[in-house]
Amino acid sequence: MSSSRTITRISTRDAAEEEPSVTRERLKDRFPRGSTRRMTQLGLLVGDVLMDMDPGPDDAIIYISRYAETRALEQYLESFPTASPTLFQTSIHPSAVQQVMIGRQLPVREFLPITGNEQLVAQGLTAALVSPASRVLLCGGEERGTWLLEQGVASDRNFAFACALSRDPDGALGRVTMGNEVCPPEVPLGLEEFFRRLTDREPFTLVAPSAQRISWTWE
Amino acid sequence: MSDPLLAHLKRLIVDTLKLEDITPEQLADDEPLMGSGLNLDSIDALELVVRIEKEFGLKISNSEESRQALSDLGSLAAFVRQRADPARIPAH
Amino acid sequence: MTPAPVARITACDCLTAFGDAPATHQALLEGRIALEPTPVLGSRGGDAVPLALLPDRVLDEDLPPRWLDFAERLLSKLPGDGWGSPRRPVIVTSSNFGVGSLYAYRLNGDARNLAYGTPFASVEQLAKRLDWGPNTITFSHACVTAHLGLLHASRLVDARLAEKVLVLSFDLLSPFVTGGFHALKILNGMMPAPYEARDVGSIGLGDGLAFAVVEPASAAGEFSLLAQAVYNEMHHFTANRADGAGFAACIREITSAAAGRRVWLKGHGTGTLEAGKLEAGELAAAFPESPLVSWKGSLGHTLGSCGLVELALTLCALRNGRAPGTPGSRTPTFTSNIMLEPFSVSNFDAAVCTSNAFGGAHAALLVGAA
Repeated sequence: MSSSRTITRISTRDAAEEEPSVTRERLKDRFPRGSTRRMTQLGLLVGDVLMDMDPGPDDAIIYISRYAETRALEQYLESFPTASPTLFQTSIHPSAVQQVMIGRQLPVREFLPITGNEQLVAQGLTAALVSPASRVLLCGGEERGTWLLEQGVASDRNFAFACALSRDPDGALGRVTMGNEVCPPEVPLGLEEFFRRLTDREPFTLVAPSAQRISWTWE
Repeated sequence: MSDPLLAHLKRLIVDTLKLEDITPEQLADDEPLMGSGLNLDSIDALELVVRIEKEFGLKISNSEESRQALSDLGSLAAFVRQRADPARIPAH
Repeated sequence: MTPAPVARITACDCLTAFGDAPATHQALLEGRIALEPTPVLGSRGGDAVPLALLPDRVLDEDLPPRWLDFAERLLSKLPGDGWGSPRRPVIVTSSNFGVGSLYAYRLNGDARNLAYGTPFASVEQLAKRLDWGPNTITFSHACVTAHLGLLHASRLVDARLAEKVLVLSFDLLSPFVTGGFHALKILNGMMPAPYEARDVGSIGLGDGLAFAVVEPASAAGEFSLLAQAVYNEMHHFTANRADGAGFAACIREITSAAAGRRVWLKGHGTGTLEAGKLEAGELAAAFPESPLVSWKGSLGHTLGSCGLVELALTLCALRNGRAPGTPGSRTPTFTSNIMLEPFSVSNFDAAVCTSNAFGGAHAALLVGAA
């Protein structure tokens, strides 16, 4: 089986160690008035890049993140014994994408939130390549934690990305292809490195856990 | 003469829900709370419930009861007066 | 939208408060209720709410967490090996993973809990305990997540990227979860009564684990996934569109696949009022001749594992010829097709199983004899 998609749009945001309040102030005009008060930093960043893709109802959205809603998780745990319903809701994966899609009332047929570690990018790309949707929006990112970061179980930086992967060959910025050959395992491509490759428009290949090589090239 | 409980509830609403571009003084005494100009929804309502339960020592049992109590600011004040520990209701 | 590929289910089982799938199926046929009043915050007390924990389990998470032992016990019955190898991927689906361990860390400060807390760390612990290879993929989409695992598994075997796929689903309760649902006021002091037309809604929550092995349609096996569908309303985090359009959009793909078949319906039915009414109404409209049941009035809502736990029980019913009714519920019901008591399914060809989740996520599948 060989499968291929055309990369037709890319959007990346690097918010480094920016505080959530700064992100909120910077991005609030991109979202419906009054909606950002409940949005997480990751929701704001992912929402920002996802809107650059113009999501439509027949798209498939694949969302990949290792740690997802870290700050909401931290604050929800801090709210006990009087648990906060808002923080409970927003701490649940995959709230970052839901925050922006619900804010704009944009239904979507298929939404696959994937988490993981070393193989996260490979599994996300595999899911995109086997999806029957005409267009797949692969998005993701991380938000920086506080006390969970101190314990080594959160991201140390904020970033988000989105790319549109189409079956239509027109408008190609690049191409992602899965080959047929069985390949020996290689060092996996981590999420931050994937983000960097997208931002810098660098090509890469990786061997998926199913042993096929996935190649990402730019026009 | 303004009702101290209503004034307190207005501050509590703006603070708890992190409402932007609105001050407590701008809320009417009979301000509808759900789906109105404030654009609050059921999650906001529940967040208010948690805060009100903690602040006034009362209990709201289920989502249907919270919906009734939070239909508007006047209903909320009446609910608090009815159910709260009287020592916790602001007198001024 | 391209229909999901047909796939074979060659093995399936679950673990609930009543035991494995056959034991749970039998308990449901007898109308037994697994839910019991339990302090919502475990060791910290709180209101009593209906929970169904696995035997010998308490709400606060142990160290190491008990879901590892239960997963090992469940999968001891799993045929085959080489899971996690290039041709035999494992798909892990959950809503909460090891979040109970993060809660425990916050409560007691024991940093050893952190090794289990994040979703990927919990899956890595499972892989280590169960000796899986690195080919694992983890889905996390609340209460439709098991359906997504089955859908992706079907695509992998259809694309010949796998010869067989293990889908594992687990969700064990903790104060993190029960506290949250209690704050939403839907996990309250009342026992759930799915699809019952009453004044106050309530849910129960339960522990659940389940697995299924998915293979190509050409494989030998008892049951087939004949159709699968998903849809995301993106209307509100905790409410559906009032016109039921979200439910209808998902079930539409299943109705066309079910044409010519006599089907019964295993619904989501948690015990909430508005969603339950919408769901029952849309299912009755799509399948006017089909009886509808929910088992969450007994087992509680097993959250991310519900799709696969309840599929395992559906297969027991198909095999056994008898489906449990809707324990915990009484008349009047939202629609007339709700079956409160067990009934014979030997004259039915297939079953439709549905699940719904926060954010207006919907999932459905059609399963029948191969």
